[in-house]
Amino acid sequence: MSAVVVARRRELIRATAQRSLMRRRLTGRIAQTLCAVAAVAAVAPLVTLLYYTISRGAGALSWAFLIHAPAPPTIPGGGISTAIAGSAEIVGLALLLAIPTSLLAALYLFERSGRLAAGLRFSADVLTGVPSIIIGIFAYALLVLPLHQFGNLAAAFALAVLMLPIMIRADEEAMRTIALDLWEAGIALGARRGRVARSVVLRGALPDIVTGNLLAIARAVGETAPLLFTLATPFAAMTLLIYTDGTQAFPVAQETAWGTALVLLGFVLLLSVVAKIAAWRISQRAR
Amino acid sequence: MISDAVLGPPRAGGPGGGVRRALAKRRTRAGERTYAGLRWAGAGLFALVVVALLLSIAGDSGQALLHSGVGFLWSGTWNPAAGQYGAGILVVGTLLTTAVAMVIVVPIGLGTAAFLSELAPRWVAAPLSTLVGLLAAVPSIVVGLWGLIVLTPVFANQVEPFLASMPLLGWLFRGEAYGPSILLASVVLAVMTLPTMVALSRTALAGVPVADREAALALGATRWQAIRRAVIPAARSGIQAAVTLAVGRAMGESIAVAMVIGNRPAIPASLTAPGATLGSAIVNQFAEATPGIGTSSVIALGAVLLLLTVLVNAGGQALLRRGHGLPVSTAGALR
Repeated sequence: MSAVVVARRRELIRATAQRSLMRRRLTGRIAQTLCAVAAVAAVAPLVTLLYYTISRGAGALSWAFLIHAPAPPTIPGGGISTAIAGSAEIVGLALLLAIPTSLLAALYLFERSGRLAAGLRFSADVLTGVPSIIIGIFAYALLVLPLHQFGNLAAAFALAVLMLPIMIRADEEAMRTIALDLWEAGIALGARRGRVARSVVLRGALPDIVTGNLLAIARAVGETAPLLFTLATPFAAMTLLIYTDGTQAFPVAQETAWGTALVLLGFVLLLSVVAKIAAWRISQRAR
Repeated sequence: MISDAVLGPPRAGGPGGGVRRALAKRRTRAGERTYAGLRWAGAGLFALVVVALLLSIAGDSGQALLHSGVGFLWSGTWNPAAGQYGAGILVVGTLLTTAVAMVIVVPIGLGTAAFLSELAPRWVAAPLSTLVGLLAAVPSIVVGLWGLIVLTPVFANQVEPFLASMPLLGWLFRGEAYGPSILLASVVLAVMTLPTMVALSRTALAGVPVADREAALALGATRWQAIRRAVIPAARSGIQAAVTLAVGRAMGESIAVAMVIGNRPAIPASLTAPGATLGSAIVNQFAEATPGIGTSSVIALGAVLLLLTVLVNAGGQALLRRGHGLPVSTAGALR
């Protein structure tokens, strides 16, 4: 082969490689741009949602709005005090039910292994994904239907069932971050399991447990579907009030809905931001 | 409690030592038993709740199944006035809205996850992922309100007419543009499932070893080729889990869907027609259901929904568990 032919072939290969690289770079450039566009599209709903809730909710918001009882949908001037109080009472009751149960169940999952523990863990994971409306139906079928009575207790039960699996898994994950050596050291020192659970496991995992539980509360506060089946009046909880007033055509009712949505959203976002900051501070300290 | 602290300093053979020891032993055993009992009670209570949930939903839908027979599952008519109850159309509506929502959310969610985990610098990725995470915290009722009041007019006046005028796909969106529709419900569902999709697939992508990327790059792959051919395939089961769990969430969402879907239990002529899902029908039918058979039929809709979501979620959890990093060859990275 003459040197000329070799040189020509080299040139050809180089040109082909160059073209391939250009083509691949172009594809890459386009694909990366599309990814960035997707990221913008992913944030856009939150931004417009926040914008509308704040701009339309702020018009309704006032001191009177927070402390006055609701007025009929066509009459301006009513407040949402009963809904705020109702939501607080329902969530508070639900927490009384859910926090101790979830902590104990999580301790069980933490200390025991075996089929039962694995089954419970799996049920908790699957139950986390069960639609909240199903849990509403469950509370209705179990409490409202036999007792012929709607009310805060049934609603609190529904929210507790909703929070239970989330809390159990969050608590257990938090406990798992405590090194097993510490638990074993406690036991090896002759301490009772209950004592180790209290002084080693719970104390060490507490910050993470608080974070997980705050997120569960944020989710429960914003739930509507379970309340639909357990409360008799829409004025008894913020989310139900948003649903009832928001689906009405009267401007006054819609304004109330936006105002309530702003209060609810503010509270829920505050809870999740507090939870995030707590989680961040824990990770800083661990470093 | 450490036993030395209970017993005090050891006093071998000292007066009262035996009694003290026996007392301490009994206290220890009692405390231990109380603790074990409490722990058991917590786990048992949770197990009881799970069993009660299944039993009561199954039990209370029994009447409806006796009334309508197994045909309840696929019968297409939902006409309480005539005593006809069937979940068929609602199942179709649920699957349809979920499928359309996934068509929207999978590319956007995966693109966002790839952007956050692979492409964006930290100072962009950190605030962006916080924002997407905040979206997860927004209550569904607020998303529903936003969909109903903000999106409905936009869809009726701009989006739906525009889609109907598209050359090849226009037939999917033909017919009157009302606003409330299967399409709008799917968009709302896409918004609600986006955080799940982004967070889980981002975790899956981030879990792929750096060596996989470096190997692809060393073979001459561009950055995008490394992502497309090495990182995404290695994260596949995690991404599948993300999609599956998003599907589960989309199928079960009820209140926001009920606000924007138009609630008409009929086979929709196009995606811009109103429709109904299992969840939205439960929300709408529950209040006006006739006690007895009507209520039982609504609960039976819940049973069908429960079955669907549990199947999907169990699948998703299994995928999530399997998805802990199977090494995938990077040989396919360059082609």
